[in-house]
Amino acid sequence: MTIAIHAQSVSKSYSDDHRALDEVNLSVNLGEVLVVMGPSGSGKSTLIRTFNGLESIDEGRLEIVGIRLDSNHDERQIKRIRRRVGMVFQQFNLFPHLSILDNITLAPIRVKKTKKKEAEIRAMSLLTQMGIADQAMKHPAQLSGGQQQRVAIARALAMDPEVMLFDEPTSALDPERVKEVLDAMRTLASAGMTMVVVTHELGFAREVADRVLFMDAGKVVELSDAKTFFSHAKEERSRRFLNQMTN
Amino acid sequence: MVVLLFLTITTLGSDRLPQPLRRLQPFLPWAWILMVPAGVVLLAGSSTLQTVPTRAWGGLTLTLLLTLASGFLALPFGIGLAIGRTSNLGLVAMLCRLYIDLMRAVPLIAVLFFGQLLLPLFLPVEIEVNRVLRAVLAFALFAAAYVAEDVRGGLQSIPPTQAEAAAALGLNGSLTMRLIILPQALKIAVPALTNQAIGLLQNTSLMAILGLIELLGISQSLLANPEYIGRHLEVYVWLAGVYWLLCSGMALLAKRIERQGPLSTGS
Repeated sequence: MTIAIHAQSVSKSYSDDHRALDEVNLSVNLGEVLVVMGPSGSGKSTLIRTFNGLESIDEGRLEIVGIRLDSNHDERQIKRIRRRVGMVFQQFNLFPHLSILDNITLAPIRVKKTKKKEAEIRAMSLLTQMGIADQAMKHPAQLSGGQQQRVAIARALAMDPEVMLFDEPTSALDPERVKEVLDAMRTLASAGMTMVVVTHELGFAREVADRVLFMDAGKVVELSDAKTFFSHAKEERSRRFLNQMTN
Repeated sequence: MVVLLFLTITTLGSDRLPQPLRRLQPFLPWAWILMVPAGVVLLAGSSTLQTVPTRAWGGLTLTLLLTLASGFLALPFGIGLAIGRTSNLGLVAMLCRLYIDLMRAVPLIAVLFFGQLLLPLFLPVEIEVNRVLRAVLAFALFAAAYVAEDVRGGLQSIPPTQAEAAAALGLNGSLTMRLIILPQALKIAVPALTNQAIGLLQNTSLMAILGLIELLGISQSLLANPEYIGRHLEVYVWLAGVYWLLCSGMALLAKRIERQGPLSTGS
């Protein structure tokens, strides 16, 4: 299986006149970093959320890590997908009543039935990779935004996913904190993780993305490799967007 | 029991404690839970104490027993109702909603009367449910509806992103509720639940009308005693003092629960 995610004519409507996703077609290769960009309301968050079943689709077909999903929104399939696909949210969404260590070991223990000791060792190793091993016994409220997001990344990685989805991971962070999270994501990408990242961080996209997907009003405007997109994007709308972003 | 009460109030009231007393702290919740069977033993008598029929149980011990027993029944039942109300199974959700609405539409005294006077009429003659048990059940069933609404308030205040994060990790609905949503929701519901507990304690006085001589009943019988005619002021001031002591104790306990733990908002 060399294709991690495959979307075919995926559409979703919230009402008669509001199409959140409009005939989206795309493929994400294994090991690739795909950055998804676009103005607000373009459907980029909705799209990424259909990849792990947090949003249902009305038409079309999805194939995530080989598992098929369509408008039936089959819960069993979605559960299987979620074991192999991790997600990092804009608002971190850590569990405030648990320690950092418990946040990370919860899912492996409860879902993968990993032994507690084993899960804790893995969690500490991930925290060390993220550079925050000393925060393990604290609670989320005691950490900065950047630290919390790195915990969120570690939490998703603890499940050994094949694909990582990032929904605007740095949009809720103070500018000084953005770098530490992007660095963590950069390291992850160099290690060969398949990543789909919704972001406004042009610098990160330029450096790390293999391909860029530009969306507007639920439609795919352009899907090019990163170099092309940032130097001479094929579509007029893409170029306009890039201009707006850099000014 | 008085010792326990005194200990609870002093340990909860102040944060600066002498070392020996502090060590007792973790045992306090267990001591209170054990009060229920201990209270039963004290009241009913056992092999060493004189056996007493439940009709004759009384006093402060009975008040506390009623409150604690009803509380420990109402809490899980109420939580169950609150969760059931949000169920995807339409029938379950509807039944829970009906129960809650019904119980909240009826005054407690009516439920108590039903339990004490009407229930025996419905049951075959052989099954004689003792009076205290009937009272405890009535209180528990009544309070559960209010507990359910308090818990629902807590549940609703948890942002849906928590459930999303849990789902994205592969946790199923029941694990998510048990490990993520419910613990947070209950912490938030503590102030409302404390209200219920205090109300429950005070409402046990209604049983004085229905033949159980608990705290209020004792004062009534005291005043009826020819030797103590005219001592109304004394008796009622003392009664008010005891209730105040108990309710304040509960409030302090609640404050302590709120302050502890990572979700404390500090107040």
